[in-house]
Amino acid sequence: MRTEQDTLTIMPNRLQAKQGEVIDRSTTIRFTFDGREYSAHPGDTVASALTAAGVKVLSRSFKYHRPRGLLCCAGHCPNCLVQIGDEPNVRACTRPVEAGMEVQAQNVWPSLKRDLLSLTELGSRFMPVGFYYKTFIRPQKLWPLYEHTLRHAAGLGEAHIDTPPGEFDKQYLHTDVVVAGGGPAGISAALTAAEAGAQVLLFDENPTLGGHLRFTIPLESPSSTEVSKDSPELLEAVNQQPNITVFTDTSVLGWYQDNWLCAVKGTRLLKIRTKSMVVATGAYEMPLIFDNNDLPGVMLGGAVQRLVHLFGVLPGKQVVIVTANEDGWDLAADLHSLGVNVAAIVDEREPNACASPYRDGLVNAGVPVFYRHIILEAIGSSAVRGVMIARLDEHSKISRVTTQSLQCDLIVTSIGWTPATELAYMAGGKSEYNSDRAEILPVSTPPGIYVVGRAAGIHVVDSQITEAQQAGSNAAAFAGFGEFDEAAAQSPGVIEPRRTSDRVCVPGNKKRFVCYCEDVTDQDVETAIAEGYDSIELLKRYSTISMGPCQGAMCSMNTIHLCARANGSTVQETGTTTARPPITPVTLGALAGQNMEPVQITPIHQWHLDHSADMMVAGLWLRPNHYGNPVAEALCVRNRVGLIDVSPLGKLQLTGPGVPELLERIYINQWRNLRAGRVRYGVMCNDEGVVLNDGVCAHLRDDTWYMTTTSTGATTVFEWLQWWLQSGWGEGVHLTDLTDNYSAFNVAGPQSRAVLEKLTDRNLANKAFPYMRIRSARIAGVLCRLLRIGFTGELSYEVHCPSGYAVHVWEALMDAGREFGIAPFGVEAQRILRLEKGHIIVGQDTDAMSDPLSANMAWAVKLDKPDFLGKPSLMRIFAEGPKQLLVGFKMVEPDVVPAEGLQIVVPEMDGQLEIIGWVTSSRFSPTLEEVIGLCWLPTEIASQNGTSFSIRMDGHIAEARVHHGAFYDPDGERLRM
Amino acid sequence: MLLLTCPNCGDRNVSEFHFGGELSSRPKDPSALSDAEWANYLYMHNNVMDAQTEWWHHNAGCGLWFLADRHTQTNEVIKTYPYTKRDA
Repeated sequence: MRTEQDTLTIMPNRLQAKQGEVIDRSTTIRFTFDGREYSAHPGDTVASALTAAGVKVLSRSFKYHRPRGLLCCAGHCPNCLVQIGDEPNVRACTRPVEAGMEVQAQNVWPSLKRDLLSLTELGSRFMPVGFYYKTFIRPQKLWPLYEHTLRHAAGLGEAHIDTPPGEFDKQYLHTDVVVAGGGPAGISAALTAAEAGAQVLLFDENPTLGGHLRFTIPLESPSSTEVSKDSPELLEAVNQQPNITVFTDTSVLGWYQDNWLCAVKGTRLLKIRTKSMVVATGAYEMPLIFDNNDLPGVMLGGAVQRLVHLFGVLPGKQVVIVTANEDGWDLAADLHSLGVNVAAIVDEREPNACASPYRDGLVNAGVPVFYRHIILEAIGSSAVRGVMIARLDEHSKISRVTTQSLQCDLIVTSIGWTPATELAYMAGGKSEYNSDRAEILPVSTPPGIYVVGRAAGIHVVDSQITEAQQAGSNAAAFAGFGEFDEAAAQSPGVIEPRRTSDRVCVPGNKKRFVCYCEDVTDQDVETAIAEGYDSIELLKRYSTISMGPCQGAMCSMNTIHLCARANGSTVQETGTTTARPPITPVTLGALAGQNMEPVQITPIHQWHLDHSADMMVAGLWLRPNHYGNPVAEALCVRNRVGLIDVSPLGKLQLTGPGVPELLERIYINQWRNLRAGRVRYGVMCNDEGVVLNDGVCAHLRDDTWYMTTTSTGATTVFEWLQWWLQSGWGEGVHLTDLTDNYSAFNVAGPQSRAVLEKLTDRNLANKAFPYMRIRSARIAGVLCRLLRIGFTGELSYEVHCPSGYAVHVWEALMDAGREFGIAPFGVEAQRILRLEKGHIIVGQDTDAMSDPLSANMAWAVKLDKPDFLGKPSLMRIFAEGPKQLLVGFKMVEPDVVPAEGLQIVVPEMDGQLEIIGWVTSSRFSPTLEEVIGLCWLPTEIASQNGTSFSIRMDGHIAEARVHHGAFYDPDGERLRM
Repeated sequence: MLLLTCPNCGDRNVSEFHFGGELSSRPKDPSALSDAEWANYLYMHNNVMDAQTEWWHHNAGCGLWFLADRHTQTNEVIKTYPYTKRDA
């Protein structure tokens, strides 16, 4: 059994147990930090456990590798970033410790204690602000070396490539009211809104609700109110309220248009649509800038309160409190009551400015108080050993002759607050600098957005609760629940005492850090401004202040003050930088979520997989690329019979007397004269005369037409037709998308008729069912539409069957075809076959500049029709003639296949190559045993059959020759067999 | 994310819709137009920084092409309504 004495040896900074702490002292777990074993209690964070063990240095700084320790202990600053296992950049102060956890310090070489790169500080005068914009630039060829060295010296944790991917997901939420922040103000707003009947989502980044009530003594309030300011009672009320859903450990990352919020809870990204929002995100405590202000052992007041009250950990034995407000005195009283040695209170104010109710008690207890004094320097090399303070004279200037040093191991600064108003800012709220309070406070918000609590500059708990109740009531009313609280609008606002000092920076002769993330000092800020980066936004970009992991939480207010001073302007004139999401860091995994790329599959998908299909993504669809040997598949179609699943084809049914008129306008071809039972190949253009899509359209019977489109263009064509139908051309036309209702298979090859004849009573003889006709027929008992068309160049039938029977029909075709040697073929074989026929693929062989004249489809254009889409442009294009043509080619050498997209070139006088065209399709043709393709060429070259030209291959030039007409069966006899 | 009100389906995320450009109508008799007039219809858009009437298609919903009056600077959607011949 472990004794109390043992606990003290391994956790010397642990206080006696007391109410409100979140650790379970009955259990002790072990973890390692930098290879050394430490003990912790469940409920501890990594940082609280290390602090309990007396560890002060948690990390090394970004640029100078200075030792850094806990600063904010609230998940806002960069000082405790560590690597845990494979996970880099974890905030030790908020991550709960787990048994066996392996924690590593980041940005250290070779170790946290002895970091040789801290010697970089000796050369710091060669690394002024913005040095990376000025140095390491020349010679350019050395950049890879520079980059490697800099990457090693700077930066944060390590992302390992072999780290297994984590499980991430997303959740979509819809609500009436969102309350961001679960302190007393947020809870009160949520309760009031929920009581009005609104559904409320309450988010808080901490493991439990309560905000600062969890770790501060509630301030004495002049007025009493009936509302309890007791944290447990508020929490119980939330638990009792069914309209509130609480998300703890959840950070709201940003506000987007129309109250669309993004939040992250661990590995889950939340996307929330709300009607109204209450911002109760609290305030950041401001660090003070003085010599060695980054020394481990210099902490913010809130950090010490969190450690003491949540984790029972005291980070020092002898404490000097540097303050300018009552919060510092509260802390002193708090620590003193716990028996801590408060070595001094250093208050920059006059004695009579201090209104703390604890003053007399502390003074009587003998706590030394230094009024009108400020801190000059933290003394120590890797941890605080003492502090230098000095008196302020009657002009508030530092009187250096009064400098004295005090011994201590912990310096706590409590000099003011920066309201966390990022969400309100993103939502369009305005803030102004209040010089009486020395804080930038929200002054207006858009309708439906409310700011409460410390984020609104209200610190007294009673006032926080009253104001938040009004905001909660109005947020509910905005969402349609209850009446607006008119009193809230007329409320004079809360008169709060000043809590924030505008001193900001105490000059000295050592390093004073404004930005802990990027190691930027106040002198760097002055230098940057002297170099001309004097607007706050330029200063931010040049110095990288506020661009690190803290995202400005620690530095942005101080930077604004420094910028204003250097420019001789006011804080209000200086303005703020733009707050953008994410407010707190988020992993890329959480943003990416699961891989949920939607793909469509055909009813035959499983059959394809069962027959070793190599699947490929084609547009939105997963299709078989091949079943092992695409060349054999193509030859099987040429010589026997093949079967391909073409279900992704767009299939649109058009009915009504207005269809022929619509088709005349939509297509460049003629349609009126197409008799029932016939099929025609059609091309659609837009009004610029650019080819949009192609496919066949069949006149099924009377007023019924059946249109197919390319697989990838199906949705575009449907949308295109809907547009023309709904904007004036829709009379007498009804359009139905049957793409998913019908599946389609192409039975192709000289034996295709024989295969189908086994499955139908329909007379398939060439005379009864010729080329380019459509027939209804029962295939294996299923009523199908048969289109006799031939993309592959062979006798072939496209079988369109209801998707529910698709597997049955497909398997029946495969069974019937067995005796003829049928084989399934995929997209690759189809591409070979269609290329042998010289058939183009819209979107592959054509682009957004291709008109039908130059794409070799002039025969389809009927310029003598009345107006149709593209006609005015095509009239002009035909009058001018094509500048380039899409034309077939054969390679001179039989075994060189130029990649699609390669350039066609001619040598110029100076030896350079001029690009005159490009290859759009190319394949080895197993039928011809030659390499064939399609390409774009200038008209004068393309119009001469047999003209040779040059294709720029990888490192050499290959010769090709223009080929007119189809490569295979140019007269199309096989289609008509 | 912007919310858009489909006249049929109500408030939906803008990701359910396709933008169809500012409201313009195809000339009644294109054959009567000069090159300049035809080019003007094809390529010259007003591109205002103000409220404009524009086409939207509820492609992931009911399939309706409707009109929205939207401010191009603030992204404020003033109203959405079905197209009628009067809007041409």
